[in-house]
Amino acid sequence: MKHWQGWIIWLVAIAAAFGLPGTVWHQAAAPAFPWAALLPMVSLLVILGLTAPAMAGWLGPNGAKHGMLALFEAPPDFLWGGLLLALWPSAWGPPGLAAFGAAFLVAALPSEVRWLCAAMPTESPLPIAYGLAAIRRTRRTVILHLMPRWLAARVPLWLTAALVLERIFGVQGFGSDWMQRISHRDRLGIAVWMLAFALLWRATRIWERR
Amino acid sequence: MLSLTHERKNLMRPQVFILLLALASSAMGIAQTVEESFARDPGPLDFIHGEGYEQAIMQSLAGDALVGLDAQNQVVPRLSDRWEIKGKVLRFHLRDGMRFMNGSPVKPEDIAWTFQEIQAKEDASPTKRGVLQGVKVTLNGSFVELSSSKPAARLLMELAHLPVTRKDHMDEGSGPFSLVRKGSEWTFTARNHFLKPKLSAIHFRLIADDQALLQNLQKGWLSIGVPPARNNLHPPPNMVELRQPTRAQLIVFSQAGLAPLQALEKWRGEAFPVNFFSAKAHPSRGLWPESLGFPLMKIQAPAPLSLRGQHWELLYSSGDELVQKALLALRERAKQDGVDLEPKPVEAALLYQRLQKGNFQLASALNIYDPNPWSVLELLEPEGPMNFCEWKDAVFAGLAAKLDSPNSPAWRDLQKVWAVHPTALPLLDFTSVVWVDKRLKVEASALGLYLTTPGPAGWDWTK
Repeated sequence: MKHWQGWIIWLVAIAAAFGLPGTVWHQAAAPAFPWAALLPMVSLLVILGLTAPAMAGWLGPNGAKHGMLALFEAPPDFLWGGLLLALWPSAWGPPGLAAFGAAFLVAALPSEVRWLCAAMPTESPLPIAYGLAAIRRTRRTVILHLMPRWLAARVPLWLTAALVLERIFGVQGFGSDWMQRISHRDRLGIAVWMLAFALLWRATRIWERR
Repeated sequence: MLSLTHERKNLMRPQVFILLLALASSAMGIAQTVEESFARDPGPLDFIHGEGYEQAIMQSLAGDALVGLDAQNQVVPRLSDRWEIKGKVLRFHLRDGMRFMNGSPVKPEDIAWTFQEIQAKEDASPTKRGVLQGVKVTLNGSFVELSSSKPAARLLMELAHLPVTRKDHMDEGSGPFSLVRKGSEWTFTARNHFLKPKLSAIHFRLIADDQALLQNLQKGWLSIGVPPARNNLHPPPNMVELRQPTRAQLIVFSQAGLAPLQALEKWRGEAFPVNFFSAKAHPSRGLWPESLGFPLMKIQAPAPLSLRGQHWELLYSSGDELVQKALLALRERAKQDGVDLEPKPVEAALLYQRLQKGNFQLASALNIYDPNPWSVLELLEPEGPMNFCEWKDAVFAGLAAKLDSPNSPAWRDLQKVWAVHPTALPLLDFTSVVWVDKRLKVEASALGLYLTTPGPAGWDWTK
């Protein structure tokens, strides 16, 4: 069985979810999964999943040292969320899902682009010596190879890190669901989340092999 | 030229009229809908399993209990328009014309089904299961009869928090508002009901973050909201600050004996400067909540000669800024007496687990008492949910049997017994501070804005 080490880690994580200590005062039923958030959250991840590699392909490995990218990466996501909320005109009414999505992308994109750029191999002396067409082809191949690992490593992180922006914009998303399950000690629900992450990891392994 | 202008004016008239009409109707719509927020997702409306404050608000808007509590904490008719107390039996007469959301009439069978379902299901609301423990529900013609070993006055008050749902449906009440949920927004629309709600709708959005809530209030996107507990925070010009007494207390439980409680009883009066908590809280004074009508009483035991050199670890729920601030102030006061009081934050579920196991020296927890004096028995009863330190006394059972009304003299005797060797002490009494739109007429009460009768059904916009 290939990847058995990875499966052991995921099984330990699932077991830890079931063994999570703590008891809740006046235990309520486990929260329902926010199905209404599924489409917006998946759409955001698809946008992020397409934009970040495209920008990384455009910037190349030098993007990892790009000053502007570092500048935008530095502020934490709550700062972007808070800034957008503060600047949002009162007359427009409360910002909703679109503002949440914008803040999420502004907060997530720079670091994702830099992550991908930093993982790309150097282009000097080759393929620079072969010209622009060779550079483009190399970058495309590199990005396609990096994508599975990038998704497996970063998607779980962004799904849960979105919690801060969800709280600021009043959006019920996956981050809130994850957090609620922990505070409710919904051990089965947390284990299902772990299983979903494990399956995502497994799917990216298959993708990478192909 | 003149005629052209005249024609244009004629052409524009209907457009202007339509525009004005649209503006007026949208302005009316904004004015009549109350904008509110939930700090947590209350989950689906569920009269059987639903638990928590947000769920209680939803149930009070979309459902009717047999009786209600008014702003003065008096039992008032709701689904039942009159009742009789015959010994330990409560007989309820149902109000005519009450209908569920689907239009079907409310029948005694629905009430019996709701109560029996709560009793039968292990995953039903723990609070409601506690109320209905040992209660027998019988249908007697068109009446509903409830019998219990509890005093009838106590059961009657507790029933105000048990809204009824349609038989075989867990989410269909008969309340003054009907609920539509869309994503993280909940809209309650007024319906035909005997309380005759004056508002057209109440719209809730999910705002979990304190700072985001404050910005929403300051930008005028909310009609009602609880501001964060910070000093020098003033409501925006379009809002007023409403202060309501609550039955919430921060209680310290002691497994380390009486000495820490005696010290804390002294320090709580000295550690906090004036306005330390702004309007949100003040130091508790007695042993049991003043808001429930209990007289002030001090611990009746000789004080220890010296506490110097003592080290006490005090657990508290992490993330509560106000509680942390209070405990740090107490720590500084304790230092003056040579005591090392160490506040230690613990995640809420881990804290409760340690409370249940008795695995602590000192531990603090926030408790919201039910609006009846019997709720303090949770600290004293052998199986009481807050008797974490296994308090017992030989005379308790005899005195408890005499607690048949809120004015029974046995209450004072019981408090004296508790005062000799308590295992818990309140540190802070909380006040609910709410910012409300100046145009909205609401009624403040110790139960909050929502959980009374008529509650939001009695709110109105000033003209």
